Amino acid sequence: MFRRIFSIAANTFRETIRNKILYAILAFALFVIGMTFFLADLSVGDFARIIADVGLASIHIFGVIMAVFLGINLVSNEVDRKTIYILLSKPVRRFEFIFGKTFGLSVTLLLTTLAMATVLFLVHFSYRYGGRAEVGIFIASAGIYMELVLLTCLASLFSTFTTPVLSAIFTLSLFFVGHLTNYLYVLGEQSKGTAVRWGSRFLFYLLPNLENFNWKNEVAYGGLKSFSILGWAAGYLVAYAACVLCLSCLLFARKDFK
Amino acid sequence: MIHKGLILAIEGLTKSYPTGFWRKPVRVLSDLSFEVRENEIVGFLGPNGAGKTTTIKILNRLAFPDAGKVTLFGGQDQGGADVRRRIGFMPEQPYFYEYLTGGEFLRLCGQLCGMSCADTESRSSELLARVGLSGSRDTAIRKYSKGMMQRLGLAQALLHDPELVILDEPMSGLDPMGRMEVRGIIRDLKAAGKTVFFSSHILSDVEALCDRVIMLHKGRKVAEGRVEELIGAETLYIELVVSPVLTHDRLAAAGIPPDAGYAQGALLVLRAPDNGQANRWIAGLLREGCTILSCVPMKKNLEEIFMERVGSSGATGAAS
Ligand SMILES: Nc1ncnc2c1ncn2[C@@H]1O[C@H](COP(=O)(O)OP(=O)(O)OP(=O)(O)O)[C@@H](O)[C@H]1O
Ligand SMILES: [Mg+2]
Repeated sequence: MFRRIFSIAANTFRETIRNKILYAILAFALFVIGMTFFLADLSVGDFARIIADVGLASIHIFGVIMAVFLGINLVSNEVDRKTIYILLSKPVRRFEFIFGKTFGLSVTLLLTTLAMATVLFLVHFSYRYGGRAEVGIFIASAGIYMELVLLTCLASLFSTFTTPVLSAIFTLSLFFVGHLTNYLYVLGEQSKGTAVRWGSRFLFYLLPNLENFNWKNEVAYGGLKSFSILGWAAGYLVAYAACVLCLSCLLFARKDFK
Repeated sequence: MIHKGLILAIEGLTKSYPTGFWRKPVRVLSDLSFEVRENEIVGFLGPNGAGKTTTIKILNRLAFPDAGKVTLFGGQDQGGADVRRRIGFMPEQPYFYEYLTGGEFLRLCGQLCGMSCADTESRSSELLARVGLSGSRDTAIRKYSKGMMQRLGLAQALLHDPELVILDEPMSGLDPMGRMEVRGIIRDLKAAGKTVFFSSHILSDVEALCDRVIMLHKGRKVAEGRVEELIGAETLYIELVVSPVLTHDRLAAAGIPPDAGYAQGALLVLRAPDNGQANRWIAGLLREGCTILSCVPMKKNLEEIFMERVGSSGATGAAS
């Protein structure tokens, strides 16, 4: 079982790194991160902080673009092109397929995020005024990466039952909502009606809380020093992603292919 | 016939596809039952849209029936890895990852089937040579032609040396050489003790290859049986090919009615209703100084049986 999941993951990894559009997005992202070097010159204040700030925001945005772009096509491409016929007629269970595809894309995203983070780290380090080796950039990027993995799982969940365009819309909506669930909770708690309170609590726990992975501000203000926060977020990621993947597998298990 | 093991049994398979939110689903398969025994070559025939591909998808768990049962190798866990490893499948118009090369694709298939690397390597070289793709092993599948895809599809189906091979239109899109090669491969599989179940529109191939055929029309089985039984023993007519073409007068002199044949280029083709007539006609033709080029008793072929069974109930399409 693990060998088959691994083979499918390796093949997905190969598929994504042979994708020219991914390189275009990555090149553009690296360009933008590089440009922060000059951006800092144009503004006033703590220059090095601005580099970290803008750079991490770029990693976040481009990472989400990559995750959504690759994630929505992850399953639907195989179904549309009928390549899945051959895969599933082999001794491959459908859940092995879903897990393999998702793991493969996660590895690709790990490499792209690492590349972006490294460039940002170097830009930040080599900056004239107050540049330093900021480990926090890697910690914040790890948070971003975890968020991307979660988005990938969600995108592949949607792509098991809708078209790529709708999957993209759903995934992006969850991305925005996922960053606002804390507000939802606070707003809900202020409400008078018990039903509303319970409803908002329910949504708070149901929707992904992507702010759990957001340490960008702490890094930019130099406040984040500990790695333990990573462990907690990783636990949340594993639990949430496992639920999403299991749901995908359930939806996929008895699907008829056209 | 010696009683052989049951490889595949289908019982009461029924399948409908939804057509829309409101409308009634369309019935694609209605109560289809048949069996495939060990070491048989079974042909699966039917006009376009008869439900062949749907049946084959159900066998490979790519679609699920509304009712009915599929039993493979006498009933184990149908989706289990052990059962799947004993089956090779080639879908109709197979399509592969275009970013891989043929060799890389077969390596992936080998891994998924749990084969060792060395095994996969030797089997792929052997099979690529067998299907005539040795030279394209390291070519990206993106650059393959339609027939090359078809050949690679066959190679991946046979890679893990399966006991049951299911092929959906294996000859479509192939050149005459390719068709002959595929016929050879199917014969070799039988010789090696394997079982083959394939759908096809090329009835002459089916007639030449299959032990048994199953004919499907509008999701129902309309005929099943051994090829010889279906074709029957009776001779329809005897076809004579002679040269040169005779005028009506000389035909009459040889004792042949003028509407008994037609000219085909420099040849005259005549249809004698039985052996006695044919002999008398031949004597007359020799007297008129003709050369007899051939004399063949014509039997009903599969194509005519097919037209009979399928055409009468209003076919949606004919055999190509
Ligand atoms: N996914 C689907 N949704 C709705 N209807 C379908 C679907 N797949 C097949 N059908 C219908 O099922 C019927 C049988 O299709 P199938 O592909 O099994 O035919 P076939 O015998 O393989 O034909 P062909 O010789 O053209 O390959 C057709 O009428 C087709 O319209
Ligand atoms: Mg078909």
